Amino acid sequence: MTTAQTKRRAILAFMLDRSGVLNKVSMLIRRKMINVDTITACATQQPGISRMTLTLREDSDAKALQLVKQIEKLTEVISAKELDIDQSFWREVAIVKFEADNEHLEQLGQAFNFEILDRQAHEVVVAQVAGTSLMIDNFIDQIGRQKIIEVARSGFTAMEK
Amino acid sequence: MKGTELVLKALKDKGVKYIFGYTGGAIMPIFDEMEKQKCFQFIMSRHEQGAAFMAQGISRASVGTSHPRTGVCMATSGPGAMNLVTAVADAIMDSCPLLAITGQVATGVIATDAFQESDVVGVMMPITKQTYMPLSVDKIEETIHEALYVAWTGRGGPVVVDIPKDIQLQETDADYHFDPETYEPDLPGFLYSPSPDRDRIRQAVALVNKSERPIILCGHGVITSNAGRNLQKFAEKAHIPVAFTLHGLSAIPVDHPLSLGMVGMHGTVEANRALLNTDLIISFGMRFDDRVTGNLDLFGGDAKVIHVEIDPSEIDKNVKTTVAINADTGQTLNILANDHELVNKPRRVWFDQIEQYRNEIKAATQKEIETGLGAEGELLVKTIITRLSDITGGKDIIVADVGQHQMMAARFYNYQTPNSWFTSGGAGTMGCSLPMAMGVKLARPDERVWSINGDGGFQMNIQELGAIMEHNIDVKILLMNNGYLGMVRQWQTLFYDGRYAGTPMKNPNFEAISGAYGIPYLKVSELDQIDGALKTAAEHPGAFLVEFLCDPSEIVLPMVPAGGGIGDMIVTRRT
Repeated sequence: MTTAQTKRRAILAFMLDRSGVLNKVSMLIRRKMINVDTITACATQQPGISRMTLTLREDSDAKALQLVKQIEKLTEVISAKELDIDQSFWREVAIVKFEADNEHLEQLGQAFNFEILDRQAHEVVVAQVAGTSLMIDNFIDQIGRQKIIEVARSGFTAMEK
Repeated sequence: MKGTELVLKALKDKGVKYIFGYTGGAIMPIFDEMEKQKCFQFIMSRHEQGAAFMAQGISRASVGTSHPRTGVCMATSGPGAMNLVTAVADAIMDSCPLLAITGQVATGVIATDAFQESDVVGVMMPITKQTYMPLSVDKIEETIHEALYVAWTGRGGPVVVDIPKDIQLQETDADYHFDPETYEPDLPGFLYSPSPDRDRIRQAVALVNKSERPIILCGHGVITSNAGRNLQKFAEKAHIPVAFTLHGLSAIPVDHPLSLGMVGMHGTVEANRALLNTDLIISFGMRFDDRVTGNLDLFGGDAKVIHVEIDPSEIDKNVKTTVAINADTGQTLNILANDHELVNKPRRVWFDQIEQYRNEIKAATQKEIETGLGAEGELLVKTIITRLSDITGGKDIIVADVGQHQMMAARFYNYQTPNSWFTSGGAGTMGCSLPMAMGVKLARPDERVWSINGDGGFQMNIQELGAIMEHNIDVKILLMNNGYLGMVRQWQTLFYDGRYAGTPMKNPNFEAISGAYGIPYLKVSELDQIDGALKTAAEHPGAFLVEFLCDPSEIVLPMVPAGGGIGDMIVTRRT
């Protein structure tokens, strides 16, 4: 289909909390033949308004701008903009189930800030880690691929400085 | 009150007069209430697609007037709603406000594959401005009012309200109250900016004043914002030639000295050559469709671009603008037409050049029209349209179907009346003309309406002759019968070595069909019969069908081949 796109972008949109909005946004992106990396949505402080953070890969600035305008055109969408990577925070949460002995856990603890959610089975740990994508990648690398049992990553949520 | 009553109340409050539709299980309660109240004129189509095109006719014919009216169509759940889909998709492509109300199975069985259940909201979502499913009776009125607000605000488009049968039958509580007078939709994001930015206007005027070879592209937005007069004033004041997109036609008289006629794939030589050589494109209410631009990489050259457009997502979509004015075309033209900074430049070199473009094939085309017959002695569509134009003085309403005859009607009818040309442009939906012409006639009963068809498209909604018969709708039907799907045949002639795959057609006896529906009929095969038949149809009080036996090898030229640039325009026939 299209050649692999490399430029990662985040789009932040605020919208009315109505059924079908998520559907519309994702249909629009599919129609433009862009592949979404992550999509997250949550309520905001203001009742009835949700925020949605999308990350995707698209090299063409014009195409990305067009997508933002078309998202903004949706009846329920209040605003949409592409976030400047240098002027915004992108964070995600991961829950990781892995094998580790005490010594290994101690080593991890020195390098990373994470929370152990469960450690019932012998040497099987469920831990939660939050931060940048890079930090989570590093955390997973440090555990070692062969020790990982399962990883759940939330996808990005983002905020401007 | 019951849900069904609230549906009708909302429509009444919005001044709806006609409802087009087809009943069925899930919409029966609303039809039942209509029968009790007898408050609308109901037109039963013979297929739901017909109903939606009739409704489009109402909207298209009244947009830009002092009384814009929304066409409303109704269908039942499942197949009924699905039969609306093509015409709804057509409406979004042509920015046509339209309200479709569909019945849905009861909420208790939704998403269980109940009888005649389809996911209408899911299907309609990408082809509407907004799709609704009210889930309680006290949301019905508000939903319909919001839907109509959305359909008409900014760039027009279709909306669908899918109402489950049990919600239609629900009763409101005693304290239910909705005031349509004070209602304002709660859509904080649904903003549009009708007023142009003054700085941008100044920049635009400066570009116009500097330009030696400007061209105006008049789009559909000029018609929907009723800005033809101001466009003409602006063009005359600054002395700039005007080319029209397909839907921009009839915004100003097409024989105006500054008019270049239609631009694009089947545009005139002068419009396309001017667009190729311009240094400034001033576009109003249009979206640089591929049928206008040809190959985008070859479009525009070094020309600067001023783009006036209500829909911000259209700006910089296909063509990069120099000055973008995201505003209502009508308001912008009102300011531009009265701008004191605007300079009237003679631009003699440019207009001399345009005169040459005009004369390039003028004599040959004129001769062809006068000859009027193809090699086999069959009629030419361009001659028939030219005769129709002369006989009606270009003052009547033309509703064309899709194909060669559509392009001929766009090129050879001398449009004099504002907003007098209707067709399916963006979607190119064959079969649109007959039902759309019915809606147009109902919206503008005092004007004469001609539905121009090919033999292919005519048979796609031929069943609506039944509705014409039942309601005595005075539509003059012209059938250009050449026994082929002419436009595809043309491509086959030019680009597929003359292999006519899937285009020849054995046709029925149209006289017998016409007779079966009680519609008077004339067949025309000779040149000297054209005028008489057209006059007879024009003067007959009621629907009339004239069938013309046309030359299948006639082709629409000029033509910009698909994928080519405007410079690749084929002007004369090589074979």
